[in-house]
Formats: sequence, C-alpha cells, structure tokens
Amino acid sequence: MKRTLLLATLTASAFAADPKESDYYQITTFDTPATTAMEVSAIELLPGGKLALGTRRGEIWTVTGAGSANASDVKYQRFAEGQHEIMGLAWKDGWLYTTNRYEVLKIKDEDGDGRGDIFATVCDKWGVSGDYHEYSFGTRFDKNGDIWVVLCLTGSFSSNIDFRGWAVRVKPDGTMVPTCSGIRSPGGIDFDADGEVYYTDNQGPWHGACTLQHLVPGSFQGHPGGFKWYSKAPDMGPKPVEPKNKSRIVAERERVKELLPPAVYMVHGKIGNSSSAIVCDLSKGKFGPFSKQLFVADQSHSNISRVFLETVNGIKQGVVIPFVKGFKSGPIGGRMDAEGRLYLGGSDRGWGAKGGKPFAFERVNWTGKVPFEIHEMHAKPDGFELTFTLPVDPATAGNPASYSMRAFTYIYQADYGSPEVDSLTPKITGAVVSADKKSVRLTVDKLTKGHVHELHLNGVKSAETLPLLHPVAYYTLNEIPAK
Amino acid sequence: MFRPVFLLAAFAATAFAQEARTVTIKTLRAQMRYDTPEFTVKPGEKVKLVFENTDDMPHNLIIFQAGTDVLAVAAKLMEKPEEAVKRDWMPEDPRMLAHSKPVQPKAKDEIIFKAPDKVGVYPYVCTFPGHAAMMQGKMRVSLTQPGLADLKFALYLGSWTKLPDFAALKPHREGDIADGLIQIKLDDYKNQFGIVYTGKLVAPKEGDYTFSIAGDDGVRLSIDGKKVVDHDGVHGTTEIKEGKVKLTAGAHDVRMEYFQGTGDAEIYLAWKGADFANTPLSKWVHPQAGVGGKPVVKKKPGKTGIPLIVGTEPIVYRNFITNSGGRPIAVGYPGGFNLAWSAAHMNLTLLWRGDFMDAALHWIDRGGGEQPPLGDDLLRPTGDVSVPFAILESTETAWPKADKNNLAEGYSWKGYALDAKRFPTFSYEWNGVKVTDRFDTGGQASAGGKLIRTLKLTGPIPAKAFLRIAAGTLQPEGGGFSVDGAFTVTVTGAQAAGRNLLVPARAEIKITYAWPGGITGHAHQH
Repeated sequence: MKRTLLLATLTASAFAADPKESDYYQITTFDTPATTAMEVSAIELLPGGKLALGTRRGEIWTVTGAGSANASDVKYQRFAEGQHEIMGLAWKDGWLYTTNRYEVLKIKDEDGDGRGDIFATVCDKWGVSGDYHEYSFGTRFDKNGDIWVVLCLTGSFSSNIDFRGWAVRVKPDGTMVPTCSGIRSPGGIDFDADGEVYYTDNQGPWHGACTLQHLVPGSFQGHPGGFKWYSKAPDMGPKPVEPKNKSRIVAERERVKELLPPAVYMVHGKIGNSSSAIVCDLSKGKFGPFSKQLFVADQSHSNISRVFLETVNGIKQGVVIPFVKGFKSGPIGGRMDAEGRLYLGGSDRGWGAKGGKPFAFERVNWTGKVPFEIHEMHAKPDGFELTFTLPVDPATAGNPASYSMRAFTYIYQADYGSPEVDSLTPKITGAVVSADKKSVRLTVDKLTKGHVHELHLNGVKSAETLPLLHPVAYYTLNEIPAK
Repeated sequence: MFRPVFLLAAFAATAFAQEARTVTIKTLRAQMRYDTPEFTVKPGEKVKLVFENTDDMPHNLIIFQAGTDVLAVAAKLMEKPEEAVKRDWMPEDPRMLAHSKPVQPKAKDEIIFKAPDKVGVYPYVCTFPGHAAMMQGKMRVSLTQPGLADLKFALYLGSWTKLPDFAALKPHREGDIADGLIQIKLDDYKNQFGIVYTGKLVAPKEGDYTFSIAGDDGVRLSIDGKKVVDHDGVHGTTEIKEGKVKLTAGAHDVRMEYFQGTGDAEIYLAWKGADFANTPLSKWVHPQAGVGGKPVVKKKPGKTGIPLIVGTEPIVYRNFITNSGGRPIAVGYPGGFNLAWSAAHMNLTLLWRGDFMDAALHWIDRGGGEQPPLGDDLLRPTGDVSVPFAILESTETAWPKADKNNLAEGYSWKGYALDAKRFPTFSYEWNGVKVTDRFDTGGQASAGGKLIRTLKLTGPIPAKAFLRIAAGTLQPEGGGFSVDGAFTVTVTGAQAAGRNLLVPARAEIKITYAWPGGITGHAHQH
C-alpha cells in the first residue's frame, strides 16, 4: 500500500509541469465523530442544505455545514441506529426512506428532537437467508414514485431465497414488482438525467469485469443464478434461455433475447476493481463541463470515473474515462447537490481500498478551471466522434499517429471474472478536426461489435499545448450505429 | 453432460509429487494474511512452493533461517524506503532460505527449493511495507509429516438433502488426491453430487485433537470408524462445527463424507493439537478459520470486541443473531434486560440479562455469521422460532412450525416506534388484527427485576386464537409458571397445555418475565 503511494509521488514529481487532477477538482476530507465508524454507504440531500448519511453499521447521521468552504463547519447528529446496513436513502414529505438488508423502511422524527421515532415498513417482501452477501441497494424515487432495489445474490453463484439476484420496484403502496433478473453483486444504483435507472455490478461469475448496467424492465442482466424466481414473477414472462457457459455476451444476445449487455465495462484493473456509487451531474455546470454525465465510484481503487452514455439501436452504451483518484477510503455512497458539490463516503471493510483509511466522508469541488478532457465519445459506423472540453491543437489532434487503439472483450462464463480476450488492434485511419476545433472524427479499421474499444490519445494536445488530463477512454461497443 | 475430467489437475500433480512436495500458499483478499499459517516438510526434501496472490495489492513470501526475527528484517527495509522500492521490497539478508518474486495482484509465482536438513521451525513473511506484522507463517521441518496421507476420493452422483448412506451406493468414479487436501473441483460437477474422502491421518503424538468442519452442503468426519463431528443437511458455510477426539501417535483411518445439492459448494476441514495451531486439511480455507492459534472470530467474544454498551436509553441492533429467528431486532434496555424480536416471525425469540451484544463480528470485516448475545442466562421462551399467534382446534393441537428464513405466513410487519424514553413498540398485522408488542422494565435484571411485555390487539380477534407464551417443562409457581426451572412467566388466564403455555388472544395481554435468582452465567437452551 505504502509502496504504491510512494511510487505515485515519484511519478508525479517527474512530471511536475503537467496539469494535475487537483488543479481542477479538489477533495476535502471531513472529520467525523469519534464515537462511530462513519462507513458511509448512502447519502441523501435533506431540506435546508442538510445531508443524511447512512452507514454500514446501520446508523443514519444528519449533517449540517458540509457545503461550507470551511470543512470544520461540519456538524453531525445521529438520526437513527441499529439498521442492518443502510444502502439507500430517499427524502420525501418529512420521511426518510431507507433501504436496508430486509426492507424499505421509512423513518420520521415526530417529536422534533432531530432523531427518528417512527420506523414504518414500506416493503419487506424480498428474501433474506442470513448470508452476509445478500446486500440490498435502493434508489430515491423515480418518476412514478417508485424506489428501485437491487438484491445481491446469496453468494457469488446462487440465489437461495426470493428474488436474490433481481432488481425490484417498490411502489408507493408498498407492493413489490420484480423488474429485472440477472443481478450478481451490486455496488450502487441511481438515475441518469432522464430518470433511467442504472446499477453497478461487480466482477465475478458471468461478469468478466465490473459494469454499469441499464435496468430496463423485463431485461435479464447477465447472471442466471436467480432464474428460479421467474416462477414467482408472472409479469416477467417465461424464464429466459440459459446462457451458454464460456461464451461471449455478443453471441449470447442472439440466443437469449432478454439479455441486455452492460452499458459500460468498468475495465478491470484499469478503471477499478469494485464499482460502487453512481452520481449524475445535475448541477447545470456548477461541477464543471460534464453536465448530465455519470460519475461512477470504485471502492477498491478509491477513485471516480466518468461515464458518457448514448443510445444506439435502442440500447445504452458508452465510454468510461478516469476522473479523480485519491479518496481516503473505499467509496460506496455518493450524491451531488444542486451547487455541484459531490459528496462521497465509504469504507474498506472486508474489501480493501487503495485509500488506506478504514472509512471516510469526503467532498469533491470543481475549482472553476476547465480541464482538457474528452467531453463525449460517440460511436459512428466507421469509427468514433470525440468532443473535447477545450479547443484542440489541429496539428496533433488531426494526426492519426496521435492515437492508438486496442479492442477486447471478456469471456461470458460461470467462472469468476475473465481475462481480456479476443484482443485486436484496430487501426486509426483518419482523424479530422472540426472547424470549431472542439471535436475530432476518427475513422477506425475496424470496429468490432461487443468489444471494449480502448483508445489512447497520447499525442493529442489542446490549442494551448496541454496534454489530456486523462488520455485514455474505454468505449463499450454493444452496437455499431448504421449512420 | 458430465465431463470426466474431475481432479485431472490432481492426477497431473501425481507425476511431479514423486519429485517435489507441492505446497500452495495464497494470500487472502483484503485481510493481509496468508491462507496457510504453517506447513510441514521433511528434512532435505524437494519442495515446490506455489504462491498465489489473490489479494488486490502485491505481496511476496520469503522463508528465513530458524530463529530469524522477520519483523526486524521488514522494519530494516522501511528505514530506507527509496532503496527498498528499487529492490521491490526484497531484503538483502544472508538468512533468506528461499523467496518468491514480488507477485502482483491475481498473479502467482512458483519456487522450488530443498528443505533444510535440520529439523526446526523456519518463519516466512511478506516484506512489503507494513505487511509483516500479519503476513507471517511457519515452515516446520519435521521427520513426521502430520496430516492426511494416501487420500482417495469416491465421487457419487445424486440429489440429496441429507448425507446418504454412501456405502450402499455405487461410486461414479474413484481416484487419488495427490496433494493430500480435501477439495472439490468446481469446474466439473456443480450440483447434485457427493464425495467420500478416505485416507490416513497421521497424528504427531498422543493427545487431544480438535477438528473443524464446514460444508456447503452436508459434511461428516469420522476417524477410526467413529463420527467425530458432522453438519448434515442443506446449508452454507457460515457455521464451523468442531469435534474433539483423543488420538494415539501415528496413522488413523479418516473418512469425510460430503454432498452438494445446488448452488455454492465448499468443503473445509482443519485440525489443531496441543502444540500446533489450527491447520487446514482442505484446499479451501474457511475465511473465519482460526489462524496461528488465535481465532479471527472469537466464538464467545469477550469485552475486547465492540460491545454495545447500554446507557440511559435502549439500544436497537438489527443483525444476524444466533437462534433469534429471521430478521432479528435486538434491544438492550437499561437495567440489564435484553431481548431479540424477529421481524420475520413477529415474536420474542431471546431474552438475556447483563451485557447486550458484541458488534465485532458484524462490524469487523464483511460482517457475516450469527453472533450470540453477550450477556448471561440466555432464554428462548418458546424454543424454536415460531409465530406468536395461531388458531388451534384445541389447546392440544401442535403449535405451527415456522421456517427460520421465510416471512411468517399471515403476518405483516409494520415497523416500530420509539417513545420519549426510546423504548420500541413493535407493530404488525395478523389475520386482520393490528398488534403492538412492547416491553417495559422494572428494577435490575440481575437482582429480581422483571420484564413486562404488553401486547395490544385491535380488530376482530378470530375464535380459538391463542398466544403461545412459552414452551418447555411448565410448573405452576407463585401465580405464574416456571419454565424449565430457568425463568418464570406470569400471565392472567394462561393455561399449560403439555409443554405449551397458552393464553387465549384478547385485546390486551400483559406478560411478566423474571429470572428466579442471581445471574448464573448459564445459557438455557431448548
């Protein structure tokens, strides 16, 4: 651990002139009450600029002053305790809705002393067998007032009790609607700017790497361990065809019509090893130039990556790009407020984190300076279109030799994880800079459906000769557009 | 549909095993430990050490001369970290006997070396900064090689929920296990098979030995034809079962039986003796296996864990609690009264007095496993997990059984409310009846205090509806009943029906629980 830090320091000093992430985004680490381990696993915004933090120890803390420029203004009050892991928080009409291991439970402070008094069950209809792996992650409310819950399998492989390995919706009246099968081990769940629901899944059986997945009602998300519950979900139709072991997702999509490929692979070892919180930037520019994009945390690498998604042939796919690293523990819960303050917290308990601290509650602020970054990456029939946050230098950005590409996929298999396989080296045959110098059209020989396309842009400079802050992008090409 | 390649890896190893003893040591993910705290080799024999790094950070494994202070070696590297980084934290020390290269996450290294000729204990350690304190082990060089020898397996195919009589079945395939470790090859059979392992267990000397087993699913260990410990049925590996046996020095017949239903499959066997720590005899090592003689998770945690100390207000703690039904809620009240109430069965499941709960099992590492209460005089008023109310043809009708994990049928959990003193009142519905259940305390639990439970029922109460208050040997005592001599319970209108203490359901039922005397320190189990 220390070795890694030390190496990072040496590397950084050798290139001291290059821009750093902290020139653009700064991490503030808050002190937390000494009486607890603030292993933040869920964050919600409360009225009046307050926050609610849910923790793995099952406590809920309300926080004031976390938005202040002075980090020491932060104050905590314990709102509730004794819940079995809070993995979702949602505020509505004076109630704090929580997703814990057993249920969606809403909590209210009736006597106004700042502590919850009423703990009312909303829905407890999913199964819990007593295995620690059976975590339950919940959202806030969707457009219909529903809370979405992703239910981790009993272990890596199996589903021992009702709807483990499924995504369900909890309706306002408390009924539970089984919505997607194929979940393995979620690390987070949240909405994009359009209110579509995504969750992160973790490397393991049927998951070559961690993923960001789009929860489309009726879909099968990849892990067949929970197929038996189709018998209790008549609205989901018949059980899908079993996927073939040691195949590829792109091939199994032809056989298993309900199979929805991951929108984005969070490439193992490069982007992270343990995807967790999803945070959408709805701050209208207060968090920088990445409005409406998704920020996905990684518990193991103690970082956040940035995801841009598009819809091609009716399904979601897109690109993941490193964003900010150096969090003090393993992020699990995250939330951004309207002022563009991204709150993040987590713990390294049971699964190590690079950060090194057992738990942390932190904040990321944009400094107001625009980094030179890929802004968006769009798939094209014969390549990609890149847009940038700042005008590019046409000489370097227009030179195909400034780019290199690798493409690969993962084995779709019942064994744990997968190496990168079927590796190819597509050739960049053209790079045309637009008139406004904000975008580049790359032609590639050739694209491979179903592969992750790993693009390196080591030679690309901005008009002001800056290198890219993150000169690598991983695009998951589920579909190749016709035009 | 079954590919006949089971244990191919083990067969392949046989050829090599004649030349070198293969020892595989893995790192445990995120635990800063090796999975193997010690292993034994013979003097001068050729050893092939496979070092697999399953962790998320790089590690090494360096074996030193007997008596080397490995912590000091590691500390010395830290004095000049820049130089150590250049050497990838490899020490320069004449006492090094053999070492792996630095192994990146998810990678492995193999080294072959000759074991020292001299009998003794040779320490091994990871010298990456900060690792040495926990990442240590011992290579014993010994003339006797304790552990399993001549290990064979017989594989059976079939669908069982309990261990079958394997002797009456015909094995699908039989073979040897060259590395002498109990194991399952997941790549081949995933579901519906059984394995009987047989071999010799060599005890280094006469004495008591403790065997730990865990299985997913059923497992049974027998030595010299006698059962030592078993854990039959369909289950996960949460629980490690232990059995003790006295062995003479030398070889004993060992037989381990195992079956896999569906889903996850694992088998674990380990032993410890008077002068050696818990040592795995299986390829898979249970994550809660004792290491270096110190169990990672203490069976009976002391005050050194994370005790939840009750102050002036009750503490609510929802987690996995032993014998407390599904979805338990533990409450520790001022005065030393504690209980667990199941939100799957809507019933009081445990009562105890004194200290409340130790959260260490759930708040250190991933939080798996059931934690027993911390205090004394544990009671299970109604024995096995059961529902509070039932409609009975007669009071002699058997009380309905409940499944531990599934939500009780006909019940609907509504949550709980905390009053100004933070005392919870649990709410649920049963058969259209709204029920609240709360507990108040009187005095000190250690000195004649009482726990007063009040159930309130709103709505039309069905005919022949009963509340079961207790189950056990019932003796009238002071207007109430003594249950198994362990506690007394007093309820107006209660009637003993065999082992069940019942009261007809009514709008309000008050129950008083009390322990007969001072704290005994004994758990009362049905």
